[in-house]
Amino acid sequence: MINLINPSKIFKWIENSIKFINSIFFILLLIALTFALIFSPPDYLQGDSVRIMYVHVPSAWISLSTYSCIVFLSILTFIFKTKNLMLISKSIAPIGLLFTFLAIVTGALWGKPTWGVLWAWDARLTSMIILFVFYTLYIASIKFIKQEDKAHKISSIIAILGLINIPIIKYSVDWWNTLHQPQSIKFLEGTSTIHSSMMLPLMLMLLVLLLYCALIFLMKYKTEIIRIKKKNIKRL
Amino acid sequence: MNNFFNMNGYGIFVWLSFSITFIACAIIYYKTYKTLKKYEKDFAQELEKLSESEKNLVLKKSKIASIVLTSYNKSI
Repeated sequence: MINLINPSKIFKWIENSIKFINSIFFILLLIALTFALIFSPPDYLQGDSVRIMYVHVPSAWISLSTYSCIVFLSILTFIFKTKNLMLISKSIAPIGLLFTFLAIVTGALWGKPTWGVLWAWDARLTSMIILFVFYTLYIASIKFIKQEDKAHKISSIIAILGLINIPIIKYSVDWWNTLHQPQSIKFLEGTSTIHSSMMLPLMLMLLVLLLYCALIFLMKYKTEIIRIKKKNIKRL
Repeated sequence: MNNFFNMNGYGIFVWLSFSITFIACAIIYYKTYKTLKKYEKDFAQELEKLSESEKNLVLKKSKIASIVLTSYNKSI
């Protein structure tokens, strides 16, 4: 499996994937935005402010799944001592930081018309801020620790320590009384309380943002591969 | 049209959310793209600095070096 993600073997595939995503991205974005801003109906209670859901919810999902991915890769790095896995998680981390930031900001903008305040120190919001801090620490440890092996070890430990925050974020709305509404879509149970007229734009926006994540990841991973090759040019 | 932008009084929150999302995504895309191009250029220039025999050896051994150099030469 490790050999399958050998950079030399997939470099051409990365280039082609970047071209492919670039070619379909704007068409899909336009379709998703049309559904999110025009076709989807206003909510009976929240009115048009519900449209913020189409950027807020996918951002929150991406921020959580990206962190889980980093933790998984960090554990694998500890077991297999494969540098390439570390390069992958290093390329994913900025995406997670970006979407955590977006989930927090769009959440605040949704909170103002819904709750009457931009911010409240309740369990869900606070745990998202903690996630943002873990992402920042993870990226800073890679950036500022000069010794690469040491940086990989410390960043992996930070990522694994932050794992405890993931179930707290997910279940915070059930465990505590929070301003944040409970989950409308439960992936594990396969249930949803969202009407299909809102579910379609939500899924379209999720698809577009996932494609964006894939694009950024592939470009960052390609940069990392080139950086390593450049460093070892005499040994090639 | 006015209704579309006003969104029954929620326009400021909705448009701000979408704008911040797309501006932030565009900035990260631009920065990532610029960094990638810079690394590609630096790597290609390092390859060009090698002697002809060294360069041929590297290009023969490394598929990545060969792809990067080809695409760099096409872009200039």
